[in-house]
Amino acid sequence: MPRLLNRVYNPTQRQSLAISASASMVAILLLTLMSIIGFILIRGSAYFWPLDIYTLTYANSQTGVTAQAFAQIRDESMRAPLIMQSGEQGAIKQRTEEQNWWLSYVVEGRVTLSRELLDPANVLSVSKNPNVAEITLTNGETVLANPLFKTPTQTQRQALSNLQEARVNVDYLQQQIESVRRAHLSPIHEELAEFDRLGVANDAPARVRLTQQFYEHQQTIQQYQQQLAQYTLEVVDAQGNVSVLMLSELEHIDFSNQLNTLGKVWVSVSRIWAFLSDEPKQANTAGGVFPALFGTILMVLLMTLIVTPFGVLAAIYLSEYAPNNLMTAALRIGVSNMAGVPSIVYGVFGLGFFIYAIGGSIDSLFYADKLPSPTFGAPGLFWASLTMALLTLPVVVVATEEGLQRVPSGIRASSYALGATKIETIWYTVLPIASPGIMTGVILAIARAAGEVAPLMLVGAVKFAPTLPVDGEFPFLHLERQFMHLGVFIYDGAFHSQTDSQGSSMMFAACLLLLLCVFGLNLIAINLRARLRKRYTQGA
Amino acid sequence: MLNLFEREKLELETLSQEQTAINVEHLDLWFGNKQVLDDVSMRIPKHQITAFIGQSGCGKSTLISSFNRMNDLIDGCRYRGSIEIDGRDINHPRENVARLRANVGMVFQRPNPFPMSIYDNVCYGLKLQGMNLRRALDDAVEQALRDAALWDEVKDRLFESANILSGGQQQRLVFARALALQPEILLLDEPTSALDPLTTLYIEELMINLKKRCTVVIVTHNMQQAARVSDYTAFINQGRLIEYADSDSLFTMPRKKQTEDYITGRYG
Amino acid sequence: MRQVKLNTHISGKFNIELENLRNSVLTMGGEVEQQMVDTLRAIRENNAGLAEKVVLNDLKINAMEVQIDEECMRIIAKRHPTASDLRLVLTISKATTDIERIGDEIERIAKLVTKNHVPASETIKSSMLSIGEHVVAMMRGTFNAFARQDEVAALDVYEQDNRIDRQYKNLLTYTSQEMQQYPQFMEDWLEVLWALRSLERVGDRCKNICEYVVYLAGGEDVRHASIESMQQKIDGLV
Repeated sequence: MPRLLNRVYNPTQRQSLAISASASMVAILLLTLMSIIGFILIRGSAYFWPLDIYTLTYANSQTGVTAQAFAQIRDESMRAPLIMQSGEQGAIKQRTEEQNWWLSYVVEGRVTLSRELLDPANVLSVSKNPNVAEITLTNGETVLANPLFKTPTQTQRQALSNLQEARVNVDYLQQQIESVRRAHLSPIHEELAEFDRLGVANDAPARVRLTQQFYEHQQTIQQYQQQLAQYTLEVVDAQGNVSVLMLSELEHIDFSNQLNTLGKVWVSVSRIWAFLSDEPKQANTAGGVFPALFGTILMVLLMTLIVTPFGVLAAIYLSEYAPNNLMTAALRIGVSNMAGVPSIVYGVFGLGFFIYAIGGSIDSLFYADKLPSPTFGAPGLFWASLTMALLTLPVVVVATEEGLQRVPSGIRASSYALGATKIETIWYTVLPIASPGIMTGVILAIARAAGEVAPLMLVGAVKFAPTLPVDGEFPFLHLERQFMHLGVFIYDGAFHSQTDSQGSSMMFAACLLLLLCVFGLNLIAINLRARLRKRYTQGA
Repeated sequence: MLNLFEREKLELETLSQEQTAINVEHLDLWFGNKQVLDDVSMRIPKHQITAFIGQSGCGKSTLISSFNRMNDLIDGCRYRGSIEIDGRDINHPRENVARLRANVGMVFQRPNPFPMSIYDNVCYGLKLQGMNLRRALDDAVEQALRDAALWDEVKDRLFESANILSGGQQQRLVFARALALQPEILLLDEPTSALDPLTTLYIEELMINLKKRCTVVIVTHNMQQAARVSDYTAFINQGRLIEYADSDSLFTMPRKKQTEDYITGRYG
Repeated sequence: MRQVKLNTHISGKFNIELENLRNSVLTMGGEVEQQMVDTLRAIRENNAGLAEKVVLNDLKINAMEVQIDEECMRIIAKRHPTASDLRLVLTISKATTDIERIGDEIERIAKLVTKNHVPASETIKSSMLSIGEHVVAMMRGTFNAFARQDEVAALDVYEQDNRIDRQYKNLLTYTSQEMQQYPQFMEDWLEVLWALRSLERVGDRCKNICEYVVYLAGGEDVRHASIESMQQKIDGLV
């Protein structure tokens, strides 16, 4: 074959053939990378973009009854809207395939949103009403409706500009309720529970007094709640049916149809912020991902703290102290092969060894009073970090060892010649010079750990954790708690997407976030490495 | 009779204890099964520059490294015979090697400053010895840098990384680093082979000035360098000390044919 | 004027060595010059003791030549001088030879006195002393030019030799006439002729050294050249 090539092409042509053959592979690689990033970027960011709301007149495919509803197209393919704008009534651009419409109408006094597949033939007319809003509720639900407004003092329908003022009152009332609950009710609850435990009789005077207080506070709260109930929002669907929403269950209202591009960007930004800072709602299909983001970063940081000293010390022993024999060689091969072990194996190991064996022993030794409910004997943040540290250990060891071996021998010799011992030489000169190599290992470890899902599901990551691993309660960092993880969140979202396309678009947003998160952590590490390299590399 | 050129020569064979910096007697050295030094005996005079010349792999670097036991770092190194510094056998098992190395400084072929500031480089050995007083360190650093003729060039940037210095400056920094410990003996293992000729001359001048402070032993591939700087020269071939004499005699009238062949560049 | 700068090497020791070497040549030159002066005085005063001393002193000059030669060799071996340093060392080595030869010539003249062959004729003696004075002046000029590495001064000295040659020729003619008048002192006459020739040879040696000075200062070899071409070359240099 080469001979044939030689005959057909002259040397210059052969040269360019080789270049183009290898370059085309790079092009394919580049294309793949770009399409992955582009896909995630587009689908992920689309989640935040406010969509237009249409007033849709359609014929029910089963009953044939014509109905109206406010609707959005949340199509996976992100196709352009179906309508050709021409005044109030738009002509429908003919499409043969069915479309996913999200329709919002009042059912039994409650405004809801549901998905329906509509044949284009059944869609009779489409128009845009500027007064229709996308209303997000505190429970994460989104509905489309024409909002009207009511307050206790002004029973008449008011301009929506007063909404802000009313919201302030609502917030105030909610805070009051919360503070009464926290300051009075929960201590009473605890005391009552204490009495129960001690077997205090129901008619003991202290108990009666407490119960009395309890009821008083309960009444205060009820008063507040009654006041709160006066703040309502009436929403009207396309058919004219009215539903009443409590203002307290309202998150925010976006008049998507009134927004220009800049306004849409602004709404997107505020939604991104909500996405980052809110808790997940509606079983991880709405709301935000803050606990997952926080859990991911915390887990990665803990893992880094564990794996770095561990891996570096191991590498120091292997490269500086270990005798140059078969045993060391075998050990080295073993460490490198650890990188190839499937990650789920680490997960099982972490569950079996760390959690059940070690965690169980810790519980029986230190938390015996809380048994049988486990403290450390259950999946938790610490075990997850430890398992991930074990998983990424070979990467750190191999990279560190390489870094150590690249330290010029002259530097070591110089240090010895100045009267330094071996450990002084390693600590003061060899390690600083090897630090960029160590950082390379840590970067790889972070990238690996942040993206791993399977082992985490076994050792502590859950799809919904009620509390963050960090709070104001002593000891502030709760290593035994379960935590949320972006990878697990995405995995969960991917299951949901089979039935619910809103969840799927949120999954893409979470994917994008995970990507950015890994990039961010890597960027920090790379920056650190660049600084170390600048500081510690040898001048020519 | 009138004497136009004054020259003082020590009789190397009959050096007294006070005049001797290093006394090597019947030193044999092996790396594994390979004998690298074969019955080397010599007395290196104090406050003089003694050069070791010879082909690559002749054992001259090994010989100089045995003066501060750097050979210990090489696996499978064994030796027989004695090396006395200040009347003590440095190969004695109870010898404190770290202290020996502080007393017998060494400079290597490539300028290899540590990746830290100029100041910290010079302090390195002192801090290892437990010297922590800032004032004392400051003084020691200044003195060492002055001794290495580097002070004026770096006094304004003592706390910048040593990597910004030029090759010649780095090598002088390495000298300062060794001098900060006030060694009695300074071993130089081809200290200028990575430098340009002019910088080399500056370093050589530095060596000559250092003679006042310590005994200098230099290994060099460069015969001209040995001729220029050294007071005494030892020619080593295949692990044996062939000829050891004052440099004037050795480079004008060597007594051994092997030496003659080597310094005139003939087949041995 | 391009001078060999002796004190600008990085190596201070090399500076000192070169300086010492040059000074030793000047010392040797001064010694030889004194020998010449002493010899002339011995002839003038017919002082056999002084002449004897000159003859003995020549040994010292010979020893100096050996020492300087050794030092030149040592410097070449240890310092590997190049360019102007190399020219200086080579020039010194050669000049030393010439100076030593001058010493030998002077010894021969001095032996005129020790062996009592001083010419009876006052005319010859005074002419001889006059040439001697010129030669002394020429020697002094030569060593000065050497010390300052001044090729213009060297050229001046170089030209003085022509006058000495003329005086020598005149004296030779006169002496041959005298010889014909007093043929019975033939043995003395021969010695006188030898001494005269030695005197003239000293001038020639000085001329050689001047050529070295020109070579040293400019790197131009002007030996065996006519005075005109030498002048041209020097003009080209300046």
